[in-house]
Amino acid sequence: MSIRHGLLALLARGPRYGYQLRAEFEAATGGAWPLNIGQVYTTLGRLERDGLVEHAETDAEGRQCYAATEVGRAEASRWFTAPITRADRPRDELVVKLALALAGPGVDVRAVVQVQRAATLAAMRDLTRRKLGAADPAQALVIDAQIFQAEAEIRWLDHCERTLAAR
Amino acid sequence: MSVLDLRDVHRDFGSGASLVHALRGLSLTVEAGEFVAVMGASGSGKTTLLNVAGGLERPTRGEVLVAERLLTGDRVQLAALRRRTVGYVFQDLNLIPALSALENVMLPRELDGVRTAQARTEAYAALTEVGLGDAADRFPDQLSGGQRQRVAIARALVGERALLLADEPAGSLDSTTGEEIMKVLRARCDAGASCLMATHESRHAAYADRVVFLHDGALTEEPAR
Repeated sequence: MSIRHGLLALLARGPRYGYQLRAEFEAATGGAWPLNIGQVYTTLGRLERDGLVEHAETDAEGRQCYAATEVGRAEASRWFTAPITRADRPRDELVVKLALALAGPGVDVRAVVQVQRAATLAAMRDLTRRKLGAADPAQALVIDAQIFQAEAEIRWLDHCERTLAAR
Repeated sequence: MSVLDLRDVHRDFGSGASLVHALRGLSLTVEAGEFVAVMGASGSGKTTLLNVAGGLERPTRGEVLVAERLLTGDRVQLAALRRRTVGYVFQDLNLIPALSALENVMLPRELDGVRTAQARTEAYAALTEVGLGDAADRFPDQLSGGQRQRVAIARALVGERALLLADEPAGSLDSTTGEEIMKVLRARCDAGASCLMATHESRHAAYADRVVFLHDGALTEEPAR
């Protein structure tokens, strides 16, 4: 997850201070990715080093604000318009686990599939409950993203099971 | 209280070389207020399970209890069950083209001897619950596929049925309309009704309290967490 681009996108809308960035980021993503304030300042430091963000004036209450530079606003806009490549994603532990279960003796692959499917379905049910209580459409759509990812995993597990049964 | 109780149910089709065991010793209980989803590949027996649960098919062996009464196959008992206790939402909607949405939903209540005015009030409430209060006077061919499906659901809901049997109720609907259907079923169960739903969509099964997997006519319960 790119916290860097998330914060930059918020700053491209106008100057903000650290705690405000954290609150807005978490509100927009429905609390799916909690940030600690240390992460926020570390990220702001790197964005500043790379010339994407600069110190702005302090606000009326003396809080240090940050603003996107012109280069920073261009980068935020590029981020929104460019697709994310799948290669950027980390290795999927489940895929590795199933491949190894298939490769070696002594592992009941169907049991691995069934246990995972039940766990993923239970996670989907929790997400669905949270979605029904979501405060606004943005939050609901963030939760939907996780639901659709879980659905894809279940479809893949079903496919694994059928393929194994046909062997 | 269990609203549906299947005890060691078998259902065979055909005989001799063409004998098919659609259900093999299946047991399942659905409690009041519980929403249970049945998942399984096509041909796993989901539709047969719902038909047997609703008394539309007789089990070859085993017992089916609805609202704690044993289904005997008696036609009078079955007719009463279909009118008062069980609501069916099946893939084949069976809406009557010459009747408006409201009249389609009123029909089962009128057949049950409820006065027209009351049947109308109940039907309108059921249509409103599925978000179709505005379309009450339209005919089936003036409604979209998703709206027709919702009329069929309203018809299954009308008259406070204790048990809803739904076979792929959002089968051919787009994702947002499908979710509206799931929300209606979820709300009904939260209000005390029970629902047994067959689906191959895990996103829909996620609205249920419990998911069971049907495989070659037998159930695998979801392992406890």
